[in-house]
Amino acid sequence: MIEKIRKNYLSFLLCCMSIVPAAAIAAGGPVVELEIINHLFHPSELIVPANTKVKLIVYNRDQTPEEFESYELNREKVIMGGQRAIIFIGPLAPGEYPFFGEFNPRTAQGKVIAQ
Amino acid sequence: MLHPWFKYGSQSGLPLAAILFLPALVLADGVVVDRVYDPYVQPLEKELEWRSLVVGDAEDPALDRLQVHRLGVGYGFSDRWSGEIYLIGADGGDSELEVEAAELEAKWQLTEQGEYAADWGLLFELEKEFGENQWEGATTLLALREWGRWVGTANLALGYEWGREIESEWETELRLQGRYRLQESFEPALEFYVGEDYRGAGPVIRGSHRFTGARSLTWEFGVILGLDGVSPEQSWRLLVEYEFF
Repeated sequence: MIEKIRKNYLSFLLCCMSIVPAAAIAAGGPVVELEIINHLFHPSELIVPANTKVKLIVYNRDQTPEEFESYELNREKVIMGGQRAIIFIGPLAPGEYPFFGEFNPRTAQGKVIAQ
Repeated sequence: MLHPWFKYGSQSGLPLAAILFLPALVLADGVVVDRVYDPYVQPLEKELEWRSLVVGDAEDPALDRLQVHRLGVGYGFSDRWSGEIYLIGADGGDSELEVEAAELEAKWQLTEQGEYAADWGLLFELEKEFGENQWEGATTLLALREWGRWVGTANLALGYEWGREIESEWETELRLQGRYRLQESFEPALEFYVGEDYRGAGPVIRGSHRFTGARSLTWEFGVILGLDGVSPEQSWRLLVEYEFF
């Protein structure tokens, strides 16, 4: 009896170990990080998988706020100085999607490349 | 929004009893046509907003040429909350345009844009008419979903109005918008409105222009046509919004 319970318990553990990571990957999706330093985006080109929703984490390392802005991505998000923001983009068809920092549009330029 | 049709009825000398016994007309609460709200909030963003509605109904002189204007000042307090204060004026055609009510509005962004199948928010409104002891409060569920360049937005409002000279009542409104993101300066849309004794639908166009210094001007213009015999024939709406930091 005890052996049977032990086997079932092990089977349950193995089942959980196989399911949990798969679920985490499915729920999480790709994560891409972007930094704002001295009113510049780093990196200025982000390569993301096409036709997939992507979680973009933007860290604003400057002390002043910046606005991530892109009509092509249909996203607009103010990131306060010294803070971070999460922006979900996509699923995107293959192509290039420019974005800029609305508070410093001359310097803060970048693009998302979906491929 | 308070009932400008009710206000017009009061100002034009219609007996109160007549107003109370014409629920289909007066307590349509009427001006259901308004902007369709998205659920998003931008911290630090300030805005000046002017909204105008002009009703045309040749079959009903009491409603024909009714104008409602709203002037608002707003601010994004955080990445979740924004607030706006409005002054509301009405002009029944014969009477002078004057400020008749004020409204407080708070928007709560519930989810990150694009995180789920739809984006969600809540809008809270409280309006007080100056001349009469008349109030209205409403909570509106805001939902938005993208399908590529298409954007669908739904506003479902539950409101309660009360005052000495009106019958207190609950009311609901549904506002729907389907918009195509053609280009930033020009986006065509279709809107559909359902409220108590109102059904209307019609085309709307909108656009935005960006200025230097993170300033932008957004405009919306359209006409909503009544879909039944009770609803006004046309409701022309215009919105101009200046956003800055």
